[in-house]
Amino acid sequence: MNRITKLAILIAVFALVAAACGSDSDSGSDSGGDGFRVAIVAPSASNDLAFTQSMVDAVNSLKDSGVVSEVAITDGTFVPEDGATAIRDYASDGYDLVIAHGSQYGAFLPEIAPDFPDVSFAWGTAADTYGLPNVFSYEAASDQGGRVMGIMAAALSQSDVVGIVGPIEVGDAKLYVDGFKAGVLVGKPGADVPVNYIDSFSDVALASEAATSLIGAGADVLSGTAQMVVGAITVAKADGVLWFGTQANQTSLAPEIVVASQVYHWEGILEEIVSNVKGGTLGGELYSITFANGGLVIEYNDDYPLPDDVRELGDNAVKAFEDAG
Amino acid sequence: MGEVFTAAVLVAVVASAIRLAVPLLLASLGETFGQRSGVLNLGVDGIMLLGAFAGYYAVLKTGNVWLGLLAGAIVGLFLGLASSFIAVTLKAEQGISGIGVYLFGLGMSDLLFQKLVGTPIPINTFPKVDIPILSDIPYLGPMFFQHSTVVYLAFAAIPVSTFIINRTTFGMNIRAVGEYPEAADTLGVSVAGTRWAAETIGGTLAGIAGGVLAISLGIFQQNLTNGAGFIAIALVYFGAFTPLGIMWGALLFGAINALVLELKTLEIIPRDLSNLAAMAPAIITILALAVVARRIRAPAALTKPFTRGH
Amino acid sequence: MTDRSSPILEMKGITKRFPGVLANDNVDFDVYPGEVHTLLGENGAGKSTLVKILYGLYPADEGEVLIDGEVVSLDSPTDAIEHGVGMIHQHFMLVPTLTVAENVSLGLKSSRGALTDLKAVSERILELSNEYGLDLDPSAVVWQLSVGERQRVEIIKALYRDARLLILDEPTAVLTPQEVDQLFVTLRKLTDDGRGLIFISHKLHEVLALSTRITVLRRGAVTGQIPVEGATRESLANMMVGRAVKLTPDKLPAEPGEIALKVQDLIVMGDRGVIAVDGLNLSVRRGEILGIAGVSGNGQRELAETIAGLRQSESGTIEVAGIDVTGARPRKIRDAGLAYVPEERMREGAIGDFTVWENLLLIDYSSPEYLRSGFFKFGAIKEHSQDLVDTFDIRTPSLETSCGSLSGGNIQKVIMARELSSSPTVLVASQPTRGVDIGAAEYIHRRLIDTRNELTDAEFIHAKLIEHRNACTAILMISEDLDEIFGLSDRVAVIYEGKIMGIVDPETATREEVGLMMAGITTTNA
Repeated sequence: MNRITKLAILIAVFALVAAACGSDSDSGSDSGGDGFRVAIVAPSASNDLAFTQSMVDAVNSLKDSGVVSEVAITDGTFVPEDGATAIRDYASDGYDLVIAHGSQYGAFLPEIAPDFPDVSFAWGTAADTYGLPNVFSYEAASDQGGRVMGIMAAALSQSDVVGIVGPIEVGDAKLYVDGFKAGVLVGKPGADVPVNYIDSFSDVALASEAATSLIGAGADVLSGTAQMVVGAITVAKADGVLWFGTQANQTSLAPEIVVASQVYHWEGILEEIVSNVKGGTLGGELYSITFANGGLVIEYNDDYPLPDDVRELGDNAVKAFEDAG
Repeated sequence: MGEVFTAAVLVAVVASAIRLAVPLLLASLGETFGQRSGVLNLGVDGIMLLGAFAGYYAVLKTGNVWLGLLAGAIVGLFLGLASSFIAVTLKAEQGISGIGVYLFGLGMSDLLFQKLVGTPIPINTFPKVDIPILSDIPYLGPMFFQHSTVVYLAFAAIPVSTFIINRTTFGMNIRAVGEYPEAADTLGVSVAGTRWAAETIGGTLAGIAGGVLAISLGIFQQNLTNGAGFIAIALVYFGAFTPLGIMWGALLFGAINALVLELKTLEIIPRDLSNLAAMAPAIITILALAVVARRIRAPAALTKPFTRGH
Repeated sequence: MTDRSSPILEMKGITKRFPGVLANDNVDFDVYPGEVHTLLGENGAGKSTLVKILYGLYPADEGEVLIDGEVVSLDSPTDAIEHGVGMIHQHFMLVPTLTVAENVSLGLKSSRGALTDLKAVSERILELSNEYGLDLDPSAVVWQLSVGERQRVEIIKALYRDARLLILDEPTAVLTPQEVDQLFVTLRKLTDDGRGLIFISHKLHEVLALSTRITVLRRGAVTGQIPVEGATRESLANMMVGRAVKLTPDKLPAEPGEIALKVQDLIVMGDRGVIAVDGLNLSVRRGEILGIAGVSGNGQRELAETIAGLRQSESGTIEVAGIDVTGARPRKIRDAGLAYVPEERMREGAIGDFTVWENLLLIDYSSPEYLRSGFFKFGAIKEHSQDLVDTFDIRTPSLETSCGSLSGGNIQKVIMARELSSSPTVLVASQPTRGVDIGAAEYIHRRLIDTRNELTDAEFIHAKLIEHRNACTAILMISEDLDEIFGLSDRVAVIYEGKIMGIVDPETATREEVGLMMAGITTTNA
């Protein structure tokens, strides 16, 4: 086999790889709005029924309503350095707003953002703009939904053991887990709420075993956050254990056992960010979605026969947050 | 604290360890065939991912888990053939070409998932089979005899692999071409043919391992293996290139993970130490390797392409 | 019965070119049934290339090969084996991690289909070994076998395949005189059966004893093809080298100084967990060569490795230049003044993937002469390496050539150059000329003797080593080649089962006497 053939085959292989990886990003260039272009860089798949999808859905709905004209997505960049490269590429392509949807990308923004003073960056979930004039940050008050669903979980649990599967104990995940646990304890002060952080955002097999372990410890209601929980949901489904979801509506994964999901609606704050950018303010503000500003919504699974009194507990808890503003 | 190590916990840990070990075990057994023949395939994880997607997709479309397993095996077979072509026929640098296969599998499995499936849909999983009588034994039954059929099959593959490697002419040829291909060549053993066959077995088992993973979890997701293929490669060395050693390695790895999970569920690991506990599998693996490494000798011709007359 | 009037093999007009080298130049060669046709020639004369073409390992550029009068194409060893050609390679073609039986059965159809039939194979091996006097345990793993035993496996391998034409590439290099005699008996049985043998050797008395005909190659071309009758050692050597060759090295009488290497009551375990060196005592003085004669596998390797610090002893002491180095690390032993030329030159003596200069630098790489703040001083290194290459006549295309691509003799010269450049007090040399043919062997012998009298050989000593000029080296030479032992040693110690059977003066002792001691039989007390 001569060198040229070898080289040709290597190139062919890498071309295939590049094709496979590259096609993750697609841009809809059909016009609309007044030419406002938004790019999203996110760690998991845009249809992950979780973190990434929540933002992709929000931006697409802004596109449908004509607020933005063009959306580009690079998803699955779970390696932060790859995400940083994509962020820089979009910025240099002249996108008006580049959304770095993942707290792990934050560390790169102080390096990237100053190089593109005319581009606005939005980074979440986080509560820090690094003092940069062209960086917004956004987060979800996911503890609110956690608390609401925790209260309902306590009411539904017969064993008084409610388990939670977490990824790594940071950011949005920690906020949600702490809120959920607090909610369960509000509902049933004597309940046992084991939390199993598997220390990975991506290990589906470990999440599955964590759920098994929690069920083994007596849990009859589970919740969990981050994209690897799909493994936990299938275990819950197989064992007939109830599930509360977050970040997106997870009903389709297991209609039999999903009670409700906390869903993020970033549209509201995104619209504000876009109008800020259009008005010349490229950053510096912190945003948070809450029940009060309509960014958090509890979506119930209509197929699950939720007792009315439990539903009422949930509604009351939501109302308490809305009233508190 | 006194009730931490109850029998129930032990049963849960052992059963969980076995489930976690199975995909690693299958992939690692496959890699053993390749490595004993002198071919290092670093693309195992990529093959597992494509096998996982193929298995997932086949079950999604047909509902039949065994067709899913077959789909994983077929995809693994073809990727094994491709890996053989690159490593044996083209004599590519194995440490690099395998990474290419990995990246290909990683990207392609996700692309296919996005294009063909999109939103994750759960699929049927392997049915659990309680082995009559044995599964009724207290403690031992739930630990060892209440698993799905693939678990039993994976463990049955260990003695079968040992037998093939040690007692068949094919296995003898594998050992010979992995150790001293020139000698095998002078006796008319086809070095390339043996390596192709061994490497293709490796690919097929990696594909099966991926299929087993996806169908056991009942779901597919980008990068579903989370690097399991690389752990499988490390296990080959850990297991001293023998199926039995690999089994102990896979079980140890599974057991540490299962134990850490169980301890977290029981909340007896302080939160502060949780991160440390997460590193335990890696740390213990490294320590164990340091202890066993002295006794391990890799096949002499590992990663060395063979050309007659050199 | 075989028809002995027509040749088994005819090779006609064989030409083989490698980049920059004409390895075979229109070579004609044939073998008749029942004859031993010897191929003789120096390093790189083209003997190996010719037999590799015959064995299907290289394609010939020109020429044809006929077996039993039919033109055959030999594209692989499988083709060769199918045509009844067997080969005993100089570098044994044995898989070290496999057993004897597995090695023998490799590549053959099994009587049990996909399963190995090692039981049947082992029985046949035992039959063959009884028939031809080749003592072997079929279940032994090859890496544990001595070199001599490995060769028996190679022979059995060919016999097992019932080769009609057997190529023997330097088969006697590793054997004792008795073993050689035994081998020749075996080989004559083979020729009596009507088989043809191709014998490659540089030991001229053996060539004369065994051959029917002799073909001499020089630089790829045939320089002579003669029947054995009328040939002499001198005439053969002259045909090979193209000039008159001195077959016995000249040496001045030894002037032994103080004891430089002292081994006392040494006990060492072998790889198989049995005692390999059993309470051995010896001492070597500066300025003398102590030759250790013995059949391979009698503790020589373990003795050498233990002295060099590569193997731990059970008990006993080793002193180098008066320093107790028992159990010390190799580096410390080297610092004490020991240099070591190992038996397995490709495995232990040199790193094949490293260049010539890197191999020459392996010991001194950290010396300030060649290293400044962690960086190699390439100027000094190149100069030093080139000096060694010139002094030792290392035939290499360049200093950057990888050592593994050199011939065995040149690799050995690289190792000798490196080891002697450190001006050692003691040199342990194991099998210094095994597998090296006459031209190269002649050179290495001269060096050993020069070093013993370092003071008189200014060419060999670098100016920077001048401070060692008063020190003479003590040399412990382990060899299974009695020519070498008798030609070089000032005293000869015979080792048997890990013990020194006796020490004799090579000027007065006979080969028979030493041979019997090598077999464990003491005739006279030394």
